[in-house]
Amino acid sequence: MRLIIILSLLICLPVMALAQQKSRKLFPYNYTIDDLPNGLRLITVPTDYPNLVALYIVVQTGSRNEVEPGKSGFAHFFEHMMFRGSDNYTADQREAIFKRAGAETNAYTSDDRTVYHATFSKEDLDEIMKMEADRFLRLKYALPEFQTESLAVKGEYDKNSANPFSKLYEVLRETAFKTHTYSHTTMGYLKDIQDMPNQFEYSQEFFRRFYRPEYSTVVLVGDVTRARALDLTKRYFGDWKRGDYVAKIPVEPKQTEPRKAHIDWPSPTLPIVAVAFRGPAYSDVDKDKIALDLLAQVAFGENSDLYQKLVLTEQKVDFLGPDFSNQMDPELFVVLARVKDVKDVDYVRDQIQATFKRYSTELIPQDKLNATRSRQRYSFAMAMDSSTAIASTLAPFVSLRRSPETIDKLAELMETISPQDVRDLAAKYFRDENRTIVTLAAKGKEAAQNDGKEVSN
Amino acid sequence: MKRLSLAVLLSVSLMTPLAAYGHSHKTMSIKIANVLLPNRSPLITFRIVFMTGAAADPKGKEGVAALTAAMLSQGGTRTMSYEQIVEAMYPMATSFGSQIDKEMTVFSGTTHLDNLDKYYGLISQMLLDPGFRADDFARLRTDAINFLKVTLRETNDEELGKEYLYNIIYDGHPYEHHNTGTVSSLEKLTLDDVRAFYKANYTQPNMVLGLAGGYPKELPGKVEADFSKLPTGQTVRAKFETPKLAPGTRIALVKRETQATGISLGFPINVTRADKDWPALAVVASYFGQHRNSGSYLFQKLRGARGLNYGDYAYIEYFPRGMFLFTPDPNLARASQIFQIWIRPVAPENGHFAIRAALYEYDKLVQEGMSKETFEATRDFLTKYNNILTQTQDAQLGYALDSSYYHIPDYVTYMREQLAKLTLEDVNNAIRKHLKSDAMRVVIVTKDAEGLREAIINNRPSPITYNSPKPKEITDEDKLIEAYKINVKPEDVVIVPVEKVFE
Repeated sequence: MRLIIILSLLICLPVMALAQQKSRKLFPYNYTIDDLPNGLRLITVPTDYPNLVALYIVVQTGSRNEVEPGKSGFAHFFEHMMFRGSDNYTADQREAIFKRAGAETNAYTSDDRTVYHATFSKEDLDEIMKMEADRFLRLKYALPEFQTESLAVKGEYDKNSANPFSKLYEVLRETAFKTHTYSHTTMGYLKDIQDMPNQFEYSQEFFRRFYRPEYSTVVLVGDVTRARALDLTKRYFGDWKRGDYVAKIPVEPKQTEPRKAHIDWPSPTLPIVAVAFRGPAYSDVDKDKIALDLLAQVAFGENSDLYQKLVLTEQKVDFLGPDFSNQMDPELFVVLARVKDVKDVDYVRDQIQATFKRYSTELIPQDKLNATRSRQRYSFAMAMDSSTAIASTLAPFVSLRRSPETIDKLAELMETISPQDVRDLAAKYFRDENRTIVTLAAKGKEAAQNDGKEVSN
Repeated sequence: MKRLSLAVLLSVSLMTPLAAYGHSHKTMSIKIANVLLPNRSPLITFRIVFMTGAAADPKGKEGVAALTAAMLSQGGTRTMSYEQIVEAMYPMATSFGSQIDKEMTVFSGTTHLDNLDKYYGLISQMLLDPGFRADDFARLRTDAINFLKVTLRETNDEELGKEYLYNIIYDGHPYEHHNTGTVSSLEKLTLDDVRAFYKANYTQPNMVLGLAGGYPKELPGKVEADFSKLPTGQTVRAKFETPKLAPGTRIALVKRETQATGISLGFPINVTRADKDWPALAVVASYFGQHRNSGSYLFQKLRGARGLNYGDYAYIEYFPRGMFLFTPDPNLARASQIFQIWIRPVAPENGHFAIRAALYEYDKLVQEGMSKETFEATRDFLTKYNNILTQTQDAQLGYALDSSYYHIPDYVTYMREQLAKLTLEDVNNAIRKHLKSDAMRVVIVTKDAEGLREAIINNRPSPITYNSPKPKEITDEDKLIEAYKINVKPEDVVIVPVEKVFE
């Protein structure tokens, strides 16, 4: 099931709106950006969807910021602590206010960001903004709650642990990255999770470092005006003090030879193969990321030659798909396959590798490239079918560039990509020395789904 | 035809034609019911429902309903291979998916208005002119078997426990088997079984067309005319009764190699959205365990105060895939539902305590009911939250189709009106009437099934320790919970090897 989530992420990934539109604006809504003197940014997107407002607070902090050893998983744990009360609201009072408002509310953490979100009726906007600001400015929790919440995080790890894809991602990241913090998952290592109850002081330091206006953007989408959004943001977030901490994210050195790892899984499963190459970071200026995004669909998507061969014709694989997120720093381009018979694992691995090689030398047909661009535009337009969906689509881009404008820039960049660009960039990145292969099979021999990337509260 | 063979547990009766609840159009002979939600959106959403599903699987052919739906939505037509369909949908970024439940099968997808003609051409062909190709059949049957054998049994302890609980509660009932079927029946199914199921069940009287968005006004009439190619079929629809379980608690320990211990428990209830007590029970379930909501009672007691696990919820309707979703998928309407408590995986050493805590809290709910304060807060929550549930036109259409199944008006309006009239007394009466059960069924997925069984049947104390000091009210309550007696006979606590589940 989680694989479906991976797929849907890919399908809507670098996203855009409609070709038929006269302008190239692919984020079709009018929006405004207001910057407060303390560095906090407000993005307001009024929509025609009546009555409801989606409030997304995007903090540019995720497992990428976990630079100290032993602190993997901390950004996600800290997200949990944000629900444990503040100076003017106990955790119970928070719950009561959200309950009276009939709000849908939660949060999630990924490599690059932590996102706090709520959807509710517009008449509750003032009270909820006031309460949300209180936890960002004046978070307060005691040691016992901190230690109890660490157990809930352990419970989250436990619930994921039945799924081999969680383990696969853990091993893939630590094999492919040796220095950069992408070497651990957002969930973190079990040993670090077990040590979380002892990290109370560090948690306060974490808050002081990253929960600052210069790292945060308030996104309001729905039945709301700019004037009202700005007034409430100034009133409740205006006193938030700017910080001065900048995490030194270690730079991953060049990989010099192919790497591999194998996982012996303790219970029956179908084998899984992951073939990954070190790829580029997100960019709306350089062609690298968007060109390889287009290739991801052409080479490994549901209507690729490889999918048709392995899944539909030969039927050796029951899942095949690419996973290549937009990230702040250079990210892995991963292709995953679940293989039906353990004897076919090597064959499937070789077929995936051959496909990477093929597109490093062969031009993709122009019509396929055009169809893929069309697909990206339509997926973007179709994903935004409510104020919540618009806000949720914006959140990753806000965490990367703090503006919806990057979506339009990316769309324009996508129009410039040629088959030659795709081939040349494939050749640049899909080199043997950039490769990591991880396989997983039941101990002795022989699976389904969770990339472990977004971990919610 | 197959429904009659299931007659032991179900009575066959005539149901009011659904067309009475949609805005129906006239065709030559038979009305195809519809639910239409026109608006000005450039997106057009289709939900095409057939009132058939896993409960219509003939005995020995469990899974044929699901496989038929998969063959239609993930297989070729007579003139197009599945590869060609995927290729055609690719530039439109559309797909056409299916979801199967006991009594409903829904095919759904959304297209931009730009591509409507092309998209409708594809999906109508998929439903009306299926290819039933041998290669698609081989692939989809293997997928179904692997879904049960690998995905469900071996990679998702939570869904495994929840689905197995349904198997146990509906033992001997047409709802018994998993919607995908059973491993042994899937292995024997043939393409002829699929053809026969399609012919008997994909009929005009079984179809309800759901359409939302800015579609041209002629579209519903066109769909109706095109789908009048379907057979007229039978108009008799099976009615499914809620099972009466043998009294007593029964516990199944599903044994598998796993790090944590997951728990699901429940019993059948005689209430669906069609019943007058539904809004009252909806309030109770929301208060006690609103899905993925940290404000609900169970969540606060077990996760919030004790850090026992990741979450704890309660349900009065089937809600599959809950670990991946914040809101339920629509079109899972059923004549019979269960009350269910879902305790997300706990550390194995806390397994016994967690089962006791769930039963303790359930007993307390039944004895004490809700207070005026919790009733009012939950009623206010649901009144507003229902607007969020139906934010997208796809959800609005799904809920409208379900309302037509249950013969209730628009869900949000109906609930707003009903909740406004509801009293604390109504809610507490509904608890006493529907949630008091002496036939609790429990499923536990765990590694040390023998050890846990031994502790349960001997009612051994199960003290819990924490990594931090706890308030006195919690430690006092823990003393009650750790010795809370589970009245269960040793023969009613069984160990089930995971290989036997869904077999």
